[in-house]
Amino acid sequence: MQTFLSGQQLEGSGVCFFGLKAILSSSTVSALLPARSPPAPSSPASREMSQKSERRGIHVDQSELLCKKGCGYYGNAAWQGLCSKCWREEYQRARQKQIQEDWALAEKLQREEEAAYASSQGAQSQPSLTPFSKFEEKKTNEKTRKVTTVKKFFSPSSRTAPKKALAARLKDSHEGKTPSPSISRQSSIETDRVSRDFVDFLKTLQKPGREIHKQSRAFIEGMANKKDLGADELSECVQDFYQNMSDRLMTHFKGSSERVERVMDQVEKYIMTRLYKNVFCPETTDDEKKDLATQHRIRALHWVTIQMLCVPVDEEIPEVSDNVVKAITDVIEMDSKRVPRDKLACITRCSKHIFNAIKITKNEPASADDFLPTLIYIVLKANPPRLQSNIQYITRFCNPSRLMTGEDGYYFTNLCCAVAFIEKLDGQSLNLSTEDFERYMSGQASPRRQEPEAWPPEGPCGGSSPGLAQVYQNLELLTGLEARQERVLEGARSLESDLISWQESVEREVQQILEKYPLEIRTPASAIDSDNVENDRLPPPLQPQVFAG
Amino acid sequence: MAEKKVGSRREFLGKASALRVKMVILGSSGVGKSSLALRFSKDEFKNSSPTVGCAYLTQVVCLHDVTLRFEIWDTAGQEKYHSVTPLYYRGAHAALVVYDISKRESFVRAQLWLRELEKHYIPGETVVGLVGNKTDLPNIRQVSLQEGQSLAESKGLVFMETSAKSGEQTSELLLNIAHRVNQRTMDKDRDLTEWREAECVELYQGNRPHPLTACCPIGP
Repeated sequence: MQTFLSGQQLEGSGVCFFGLKAILSSSTVSALLPARSPPAPSSPASREMSQKSERRGIHVDQSELLCKKGCGYYGNAAWQGLCSKCWREEYQRARQKQIQEDWALAEKLQREEEAAYASSQGAQSQPSLTPFSKFEEKKTNEKTRKVTTVKKFFSPSSRTAPKKALAARLKDSHEGKTPSPSISRQSSIETDRVSRDFVDFLKTLQKPGREIHKQSRAFIEGMANKKDLGADELSECVQDFYQNMSDRLMTHFKGSSERVERVMDQVEKYIMTRLYKNVFCPETTDDEKKDLATQHRIRALHWVTIQMLCVPVDEEIPEVSDNVVKAITDVIEMDSKRVPRDKLACITRCSKHIFNAIKITKNEPASADDFLPTLIYIVLKANPPRLQSNIQYITRFCNPSRLMTGEDGYYFTNLCCAVAFIEKLDGQSLNLSTEDFERYMSGQASPRRQEPEAWPPEGPCGGSSPGLAQVYQNLELLTGLEARQERVLEGARSLESDLISWQESVEREVQQILEKYPLEIRTPASAIDSDNVENDRLPPPLQPQVFAG
Repeated sequence: MAEKKVGSRREFLGKASALRVKMVILGSSGVGKSSLALRFSKDEFKNSSPTVGCAYLTQVVCLHDVTLRFEIWDTAGQEKYHSVTPLYYRGAHAALVVYDISKRESFVRAQLWLRELEKHYIPGETVVGLVGNKTDLPNIRQVSLQEGQSLAESKGLVFMETSAKSGEQTSELLLNIAHRVNQRTMDKDRDLTEWREAECVELYQGNRPHPLTACCPIGP
């Protein structure tokens, strides 16, 4: 019986918790457990809240699982409570609508911009003749813009829609009830935002801004028809456009290359955000294949250590390892950016973290001799997604002056060097013999087992790396759990045998008692009635009576 | 003619044009490439410098009529990275090949670098300089001044012996390179005016200098 108790104690807390939950349904007690019941955003009253969460914990209503459209099939939370078929229909509709809205927005932007120019130019040249309506229009335009700036993330295309409808939509998207898939919207939201920023920026340029906008739009539309061109031709088109545009700007700004650069950055941002989908890792190239090859290569090189690459970074220092982690994050983040210059900025950020790590370790400024090996190490550790595609994309579509010169260009060149080095990496460059290198690459051996002195088998928790310590700790925990489980099983087994023997003993006892006191049915000595002499003096027995009604 | 401090340089920038010059520094590991770069850019030496990194540095050099904005690219000198270094000197206006006067093997490697450079560059495009560093160690010198000089002369290179540690001859070296780069660009402008736009050299003629036109070190 004792062993059984220990088994029960193991699960005690869980049983207790569920028991509490089942018993305590009144709001007063459930208020004692606020952390257990997640707040349901739709029901404001605390009583309702606790009851709802309780129901969720124990029992799910059948109707909550079904498709919200009521088609009878089961729904899925990932499809916002719809079944797969209904979701697809909704999604298609939302997409169609969105495409139309995007077109409408583009046209509206164009119109609005023209109107703004017309009115501003009108106001400049002939202030007295400016029609009041136009002025009014501009004013309201500005007003609506003010209103929408905060909300444009939720409803990008309803800029001039009435406030009420906007608020309703905003609410909807907050509650996650709208079937319009927010994930697919994300990209178009970004595109819209970039377009708007671009227009806003061009407005500061006055007259040439309009021309730049027109040309950029025309170029994007032209590029849409060139989808089946090779990547190099596409690159050439974009580079030609950059060249023409900067030449024109150069004449306009009378040779101030700084202002030209500023405008060109915006142009690049606008164009590449729009073209990204079609020109990043296009099907006409083998970029994807190269990506996979590089990824496999880096994965196969997982055993390369800091010592082999002679990286002057000591990850034991928390500040250094912090910088290493940040550098890895930055180089991975590169893939999520669309504009070449933003991708470059990620590389630059990554490089700065590397410099910090080296500076802290060595206590002197990092040179290229230190930097390149560290960058290689970071790339190996990060295994950035679609590395080759990203490099190709930047090379093809970035403003060339940024790649050949400048700080960003320097770090980008280093990244290219790192990738080229990783591709060619052999045993010699890691100070290993060719045989060792081959064996490590094929996974037959691991360098750690070869050098036991580098990884001293210290106590179970004293591994030289935190990961190893964690592994040891987990192993220990597992062993403990195993022992406990063994104990529980043993207890259960002995309980079982106890029960069986108990049953047997009870049976035996019963048998013994039965044998001791055999059942004898004696005939009654006398009937009560026959002994009763004064029987007839008693009143007659009560008769059952039926009452109607 | 002489190099001036950044503060007084700014007012010149307005009228003069600024050329962007990419200069790579090549050489074996440990010959003092980055120390040299640090000396060019900040007039500091490594062990006492607050700079975070000296792999990419900038410095503005004023000649009498033009301003050159040098972008100094340090390269990894270890032998195993030799195969990837051509990526660095693509589009460079100037290249410095550095060796350590107290280490003969670094001088041998320097000759390799020079041969490599010649393979990739048409003479007359890039200004190449040969630099013997660490003149602060005359006692253990292994490469004589004459050796370096004759090598440079045979290839028509700028030659100088410097000490990044003491700062000896470093600003003279940068000025010398600046003059040559400027000369090359002017020649090219005269010969092929239409080439200028395709070139990486950009002409600054703004009314106001951007604050970053002065030297901007990497790192926060």
